[in-house]
Amino acid sequence: MFTRKKTVWLYLMPGFLGLLAFYFVPFFWGVWFSLTDGTIDNKFVGFQNYLNVWRNEIFQLGLKNTLELSLLCAPVIFVLAFLLASLMRKRVAGDGFFRNALLMPYLMPSSAMLIIWLLMFDYGGVINRMVTAMGFERVFWLEGGALRVPIVLLYIWKNLGFSVVIFTAALQAVPESLYEYAALEGAGFFRRQFSITLPQVLPTAFLVFVLAMVNAFKIFKEVYVIGGAYPEESVYTLQHYMNNKFAKLDYQDVTTAAYSFAVIVIVLFLLMYRAKSVRQGENAA
Amino acid sequence: MTNIKPNQNLPRGEVIPPVIGPDPSLAYGFTPEPVRAPTKPHLFISLPKRRGGKWLRSLRRDVRALRQSRPLTIAMFCLIAVLMLTPIVFTFLYSFFPKGEITTYLGLRNRYDATKWLDVLYAPSVVSLRQYYTILIEEPEYLKLFVNSAMYGGAILLGQTLIIPMTAYALSRFAFRGRDTLFFLVLMLMLLPFQVTMAPSVMTLRALGLLNTPWAIILPSIFSPFYIFLLRQFMVGIPGEIIEAGQMDGTGTLRTFAHVVLPVCRPILGAAAALSFADCWNLVEQPLVYLTDSRLQPLSVMFNKMNEEGQAVAFAGAALYLLPMLLIYIYFQDDILLGVQLSELK
Repeated sequence: MFTRKKTVWLYLMPGFLGLLAFYFVPFFWGVWFSLTDGTIDNKFVGFQNYLNVWRNEIFQLGLKNTLELSLLCAPVIFVLAFLLASLMRKRVAGDGFFRNALLMPYLMPSSAMLIIWLLMFDYGGVINRMVTAMGFERVFWLEGGALRVPIVLLYIWKNLGFSVVIFTAALQAVPESLYEYAALEGAGFFRRQFSITLPQVLPTAFLVFVLAMVNAFKIFKEVYVIGGAYPEESVYTLQHYMNNKFAKLDYQDVTTAAYSFAVIVIVLFLLMYRAKSVRQGENAA
Repeated sequence: MTNIKPNQNLPRGEVIPPVIGPDPSLAYGFTPEPVRAPTKPHLFISLPKRRGGKWLRSLRRDVRALRQSRPLTIAMFCLIAVLMLTPIVFTFLYSFFPKGEITTYLGLRNRYDATKWLDVLYAPSVVSLRQYYTILIEEPEYLKLFVNSAMYGGAILLGQTLIIPMTAYALSRFAFRGRDTLFFLVLMLMLLPFQVTMAPSVMTLRALGLLNTPWAIILPSIFSPFYIFLLRQFMVGIPGEIIEAGQMDGTGTLRTFAHVVLPVCRPILGAAAALSFADCWNLVEQPLVYLTDSRLQPLSVMFNKMNEEGQAVAFAGAALYLLPMLLIYIYFQDDILLGVQLSELK
């Protein structure tokens, strides 16, 4: 650690100026935006914008959809990632290939996958073949509420590998000897999972969940790719609301909606940060 | 162990008499095994080092693992791997179909007729490069967008290489006032969706005269908080001894940066480069908002709009679009794995 070195400014300045110009200034400017009325005098109106936006039905719809989509994506990714990671804890043949196959979609651009997705979820497509093979009626995947399924699946396809890799690393860090002791003491498989695996990886598990959640809040590309700027009501996210308000040059509403949402994300983050501190407290003790 | 010279004075296989002195079990809490002289005459020939590159060794390891593995797990892994790769494989497969076949096939979609199915095609009637010929040579629009995307990606990557390691170095290896606040802000910005600062960003970019120029995309992405965070996390983890050793020898901060920190960071730099390029390749939100001129748009935004007209070449377009990412993934796969593992908040 270098202390009292003047050269730090040399390293910091370019990055800091950029962050200042393109991130910090807009961020705090936006706070000001959301508290003024946007007319020529730009009067300070306090929380009036917030009250207006929260009463807006389209905002409510967007917020509801965003939360619902995240609550759909995050648990599914979390559970799948945990199951796959616990299977991958011990090396099996070809697990390197498997891990790569899981992680590869993370780099693939969503828009290039659209065409194959439309084929799969067509009324006569593969997915409906499976559905009928299981004895159900065919589903109109690309309309109404069912449209959420292809979007969520595209999202999971892209992001699952990310969580699996983080989880696997955490699980592999659990000392093998703990399991051996437990087995000697006569603990069965489930007992071992609950009494050793779970407490050991709980902090990581929480982080994976919150990261999955925060990233699921950013689900927009997938919806935009499949549904466009004005998609079905069932997948109209908060980001659509903001983008469309933006297109109408209604900057006050955009920033107000944005900061309402930011508060949710930051509260989640602070929870995560607290969990992190708790973990560090445990480690120190 | 194998190089212990056998004690020539002892008859083979005979128990060595216990050491005279206090009972060793009192000292160590266990009774040591009596040491036996080796039963076989010792070989003092060192075995040749195992040959074979990384690939062969990993294959050997896989074969060994296969012997003692759980076939059910492997079967499941295979199934999931196939599911994950199917969309990619079929995109490439369909890109070699003749244009007419693809048009007919795509025309069969959206027949809401419960008696008919959309067949899955496995092989083209003729393997054809016609789709590629069209998008690369006949209609250069796709190529223009592709070049746009590559240009954005290249420029952003170049800028990031210059800026981000330096910033991360300052944030990780220096103590200065306000460092933690600055890092907290970076962290928070990393978590927020792009739309949060969208409107004021546009105002800022307009004030700087950058709106609707390529710089509107390039400049903000160069200072991406996520990659500052990722590199900073890695640099914090570099043991202080390495750097202090340099300081003893009188290296300054720049020498430390160039000759100690950067070489240690090589894997994470690879990971960051690959992930960042993937981000640029997949940019949707920023171009939609910052660029009104459709000639400046990257492929990620225009790709599907283009498809509406030229469905016949959609698969070749998608395949070419995936190809750079596929190659980057294959080249950087170990680094990417590491980068993802590190992106956990520590």
